[in-house]
Amino acid sequence: MKKLIAIFVGILAVCAVIAGLNHQMNAKTTSNEKKVLNIYNWGDYIDPDLITKFEKQTGYHVVYETFDSNEAMLTKIKQGGTSYDLTVPSDYTVQRMIKSGLVAKIDKSKLSNYKNIDSRFLNLSFDPNNDYSIPYFWGTLGIVYNDQFVQADQVQHWDQLWNPAFKKSIMLTDSARDMLGVALITQGHSMNTTNYSELKSAQEKLNLLMPNVKAVVADEIKMYMKQNEAKIAVTYSGEASEMMSYNKHLHYVVPDEGSNMWFDNIVIPKTAKHKAAAYDFINFMLEPKNAAQNAEYIGYSTPNKAAMKYLPADVRNDKQFYPAESTVKNLEVYKDLPLKVIGNYNDLFLEFKMSK
Amino acid sequence: MKAKFKLSNLYLVFVFIVIYLPIAYLIFYSFNTGATMDKFTGFSMKHYTTLLSDTRMISIVLNTVVIALLSSLLATLIGTLGALWINQLKRRSAKNAVLSVNNVLMVSPDVIIGASFLIFFSFLGFKLGFTSVLLSHIAFSIPIVVLMVLPKINEMPRTMIDAAYDLGASKWQALSRVILPTITPGIFAGYFMAFTYSLDDFAVTFFVTGNGFSTLSIEIYSRARQGVDLEVNALSTLMFLVSLLLVVGYYVLERYGHSRRVNRNKMMKGPNAQ
Repeated sequence: MKKLIAIFVGILAVCAVIAGLNHQMNAKTTSNEKKVLNIYNWGDYIDPDLITKFEKQTGYHVVYETFDSNEAMLTKIKQGGTSYDLTVPSDYTVQRMIKSGLVAKIDKSKLSNYKNIDSRFLNLSFDPNNDYSIPYFWGTLGIVYNDQFVQADQVQHWDQLWNPAFKKSIMLTDSARDMLGVALITQGHSMNTTNYSELKSAQEKLNLLMPNVKAVVADEIKMYMKQNEAKIAVTYSGEASEMMSYNKHLHYVVPDEGSNMWFDNIVIPKTAKHKAAAYDFINFMLEPKNAAQNAEYIGYSTPNKAAMKYLPADVRNDKQFYPAESTVKNLEVYKDLPLKVIGNYNDLFLEFKMSK
Repeated sequence: MKAKFKLSNLYLVFVFIVIYLPIAYLIFYSFNTGATMDKFTGFSMKHYTTLLSDTRMISIVLNTVVIALLSSLLATLIGTLGALWINQLKRRSAKNAVLSVNNVLMVSPDVIIGASFLIFFSFLGFKLGFTSVLLSHIAFSIPIVVLMVLPKINEMPRTMIDAAYDLGASKWQALSRVILPTITPGIFAGYFMAFTYSLDDFAVTFFVTGNGFSTLSIEIYSRARQGVDLEVNALSTLMFLVSLLLVVGYYVLERYGHSRRVNRNKMMKGPNAQ
């Protein structure tokens, strides 16, 4: 009994010491408890130096939490019990959050740097007046190819993927809307179609692609492409930029007949407790120099027009990530479709995957 | 006979290789100069230095340890009392019913436990964070402790307790002087089981953690979106070393304690025998 009590007390003491240590360590960075900003962002989706800079400049203490999918983030915020001041949903999630009344209106007059954003990336369908969201990064869906196996002119258009020469060499992203979307584009339809017969014919077209498909996967694409194990992949520009930084044989193409354009956006959840800090942070991130630094660190495309001149020329002029206007005008942003239609997309895509 | 002995040895070696090879691989690459596990480009400690300067990561490790220590401690307390209570239930059907309820929690998937806790906490308007994680860890650890302690109680001879009462022990004395010392190994086993469960729990924590609080498994999972950093390898190596040291330390203590006990018994027996 004595022994048990001694151990019990011992463990409690150890806990107290560790907790104290932890507190001490956090206290070093927290000077003022009230000046806190809680950010809920994707993992590794900001240059940590910028957070340090923001803390130094404004005296706020930034608490940075991460999530790995829109759905996970949405659930957390919907359930309540959290009070994040900022979060970064993708376009269709922004629309859903607005519909469910989860985000607060943004007073743009408080954001002196709002004018820096390229007007092409404002007032999009998911948030028509940008009343709730500020674009953070944007990107596209496209084709990554390895120049050791594939010539550039062989993969400039979606249709070329159906080339019998690419037998068992294409990696597809496991996402119903993206892959059916590709087929829809080749048939001249919108990626946001709700028409079942259009979807059905897109699925039939996809089925014809099956002999060329090596795998339908998610994150594994990066590894395969980096290690020269697959010739072609259909994936997002963000993923592509990461693969390309590891393997110089990889290139990225956005077919000019059209593709998906996605946005990750900063929003302020209704439950935010430090709105002033949130505004300060958004404005800080919209500063051209900071936006450029962040874009260079992450490797995604920045919607900040004023930041472009701070980016190295080879990044700024890279048609892979900043495509020409003629391509951009064909890009489509996903709309949040009715649940039933989403069901159709998922069912048809599942059938396609099972047909293998 | 001899050939069979060798074969079983071989099998044992094979199993150990299968278990330890991935860990060895991970440790090996934690010393890589490069940033990935594709190719070993040279020896460096740089991932360890980034780890040690990453206060966020260290703070999260400390959080995780505190949660694990505290939750398993409280779960052991509650679980041991629960096991004692189950044991003294007279009716067999009641005992079985309580045990089944306990086991249901053991076998139900973490995801369901986590989701139900999330719904429960948000229904109560509870702020998600340290306390919610601690409470849910305690909750899912209790059944483990009960299962580890109960067999020890059943093993304990009834007559011993009867003897204690015969010699005039009060209920409290019987508990503290006889029952608890006898079941101590079970309590320890329960504690360590609960500790490891809490340490590596992902699903439940994922649901009930809130802003400003994160545990190791959650953090690594979130970071993995960009491919696992070798900093994680460095951290895993350190944790592996710590657990290795703990196991060795435990073993040494056990040996030491055992030999001392044997010696003492010998000494006590000595004069009595005369």
